[in-house]
Amino acid sequence: MAETQPSTFITLASNDSGSVTVERAVAERSMLIKNMLEDLGEGAVASEIPIPNVGEQVLKKVIEWCQHHKNDPITANDDDSDSRKKTTDIEEWDQKFMQVDQEMLFEIILASNYLDIKPLLDVGCKTVANMIKGKSPEEIRKTFNITNDFTPEEEEQIRRENEWAEDR
Amino acid sequence: LADLLNMCTSQQLSFVRQYVDPLLKKDPFTSLPNEICLRVGSQSNFLRWAMLIRLLQQILSCIDGPKVLARASQVSQRWRELISDDVTWMKLCAKHGYGRRMSEAHITTPPFPSLRPPPNPIQGNFDGESPYSFPGVIAAAPHIQGSSRSFDSATSSAVLRRPRMRSYKYHFKQRYLVDMAWRTGGRNIARHITQDQGVVTSLHLTPKYIVVALDNAKIHVFNTDGNAQKTLQGHVMGVWAMVPWEDTLVSGGCDRDVRVWDMSTGESLHTLRGHTSTVRCLKMSDANTAISGSRDTTLRVWDIRTGLCKNVLVGHQASVRCLEIKGDIVVSGSYDTMARVWSISEGRCLRTLQGHFSQIYAIAFDGKRIATGSLDTSVRIWDPNNGSCQAILQGHTSLVGQLQMRGNTLVTGGSDGSVRVWSLEKMAPIHRLAAHDNSVTSLQFDDTRVVSGGSDGRVKVWDLKTGQLVRELTAPAEAVWRVAFEEEKCVVMASRSNRTIMEVWSFSPPEEQVM
Repeated sequence: MAETQPSTFITLASNDSGSVTVERAVAERSMLIKNMLEDLGEGAVASEIPIPNVGEQVLKKVIEWCQHHKNDPITANDDDSDSRKKTTDIEEWDQKFMQVDQEMLFEIILASNYLDIKPLLDVGCKTVANMIKGKSPEEIRKTFNITNDFTPEEEEQIRRENEWAEDR
Repeated sequence: LADLLNMCTSQQLSFVRQYVDPLLKKDPFTSLPNEICLRVGSQSNFLRWAMLIRLLQQILSCIDGPKVLARASQVSQRWRELISDDVTWMKLCAKHGYGRRMSEAHITTPPFPSLRPPPNPIQGNFDGESPYSFPGVIAAAPHIQGSSRSFDSATSSAVLRRPRMRSYKYHFKQRYLVDMAWRTGGRNIARHITQDQGVVTSLHLTPKYIVVALDNAKIHVFNTDGNAQKTLQGHVMGVWAMVPWEDTLVSGGCDRDVRVWDMSTGESLHTLRGHTSTVRCLKMSDANTAISGSRDTTLRVWDIRTGLCKNVLVGHQASVRCLEIKGDIVVSGSYDTMARVWSISEGRCLRTLQGHFSQIYAIAFDGKRIATGSLDTSVRIWDPNNGSCQAILQGHTSLVGQLQMRGNTLVTGGSDGSVRVWSLEKMAPIHRLAAHDNSVTSLQFDDTRVVSGGSDGRVKVWDLKTGQLVRELTAPAEAVWRVAFEEEKCVVMASRSNRTIMEVWSFSPPEEQVM
């Protein structure tokens, strides 16, 4: 559809007074924006669309992702299909895309959730999951800067509770 | 989740708040910065929390191994709380396919059949108790239970004894430990069941018994732990077919008699006479009705309570080698190269399935489809309603003597030593397992695994989905006569040092490990 029509551009306004101009088809990777445009009708396309929950920097990053994935097929229903995907299944481009500091990573996750871009949310969550995977509890604490608030007794008890899942 | 929160009372909400507040103040994923939470200020607080929890859940749901979750739960109190949320484990159950049997039980439990236990009674309780539904899983479980192959109806008594399940975590842990035991562990007890070298002709596992028939005319009854209970003596020649139904056993063999036994007392209840040659196959359609197939070319329908022959099904031109029953229909496979579809109540042949070029050795029937395996090396799939051949599955290079059908999956085993997994939707092969150096003597599969036994003396466990060899169970024997398994148990009948031996493998995790 987007290919056959002359591409229209829309402008998104971030919450920190930034604005990003983007091809409509790209922005419509976001179900929120897509629905909004459909609800508001063609008249709205001309004016700026406020994205009150996302800052300019993050919005640009998210749009970069949408641009790259512009022609991906829209994923069907969620739970059944991703339950089969492996954690490590992140395509190379997305892996590079997600090489950002932790703050940006979580902002992307929150933004993709707010903007309702399911595949990006998936990639974000998988990236975090991969940061947890294969690490000892102590390593996980270091990765996310978490304080160990267990008493030594609790720690021992919990270790025993979880022994069953360790490789034997 | 937002809807859920809207339905909550204020007391419940304050509980949620207590639970969620720490997550916000000092979130496990510390990088969720405060200003983001402030920015979402236009949304209600509860919605905000709900969203964050959903995201954290989503991150956790990307994790597919319990080991990662177990380690993550040791990170801090908050991580532990989050991971102990049963939604996480519910998703993990779904990922590992551990939900399936629950939904089967859910469907089959309520009108508790008095004659046969449902496949997994315990999970009925569990499912009823669970606050979460499993819609995807129920939709994905079209499998039809109730084939008359004995192991399909068998249920482990160990499962029955276990306490009601409380959570998906408990369920996951239990199933995971059983899985691990199947892969690398398991406890095994071995019993010599006879001093001489009897060939095991038939093996059945039931919720109460392990029943073994031999070519030396004896039938041995064990409890499910493998302890000898009774020896049923009365046949004067080899026993070649038998079928258990609760405490009743019906058997037949070379002496042409069909015998009815009470396994709890060891008593012989009836001797049913009529066949004029070896009884080669036997099945029951209900608690009172047994059907036998014989080398005399006929099938006989018996009322085992009165001991009378109700019907003789005449039509085959040669030995009746195999039969299968579903409802009022019995299908039989014969050395005359044909299979026949009969009405039990009317006692007449409805259809003749013609197409194989050689003897039929194995048959499966689930009400919708008939599968036959033949000496002509092919497997044919038939429509029982019009008798048409829907597909010819080729690939085996020798006699196809083993065959089991379950939903849209068919698994076959041949004298060529290979085991093949077929899709009945596509009528195409899925896996070809180079299973044994010699014939496949025994074959069974469930949702997870295929277990095969061969005359090369080996028992192999395969992953149904990937077709990979999971393990070789037990040390190589001289020959493996029969193998049968259920969820947490596997029984192997083999010959070692010229003696017939029974091995009972248990994969149940120790009680204290599951709790």
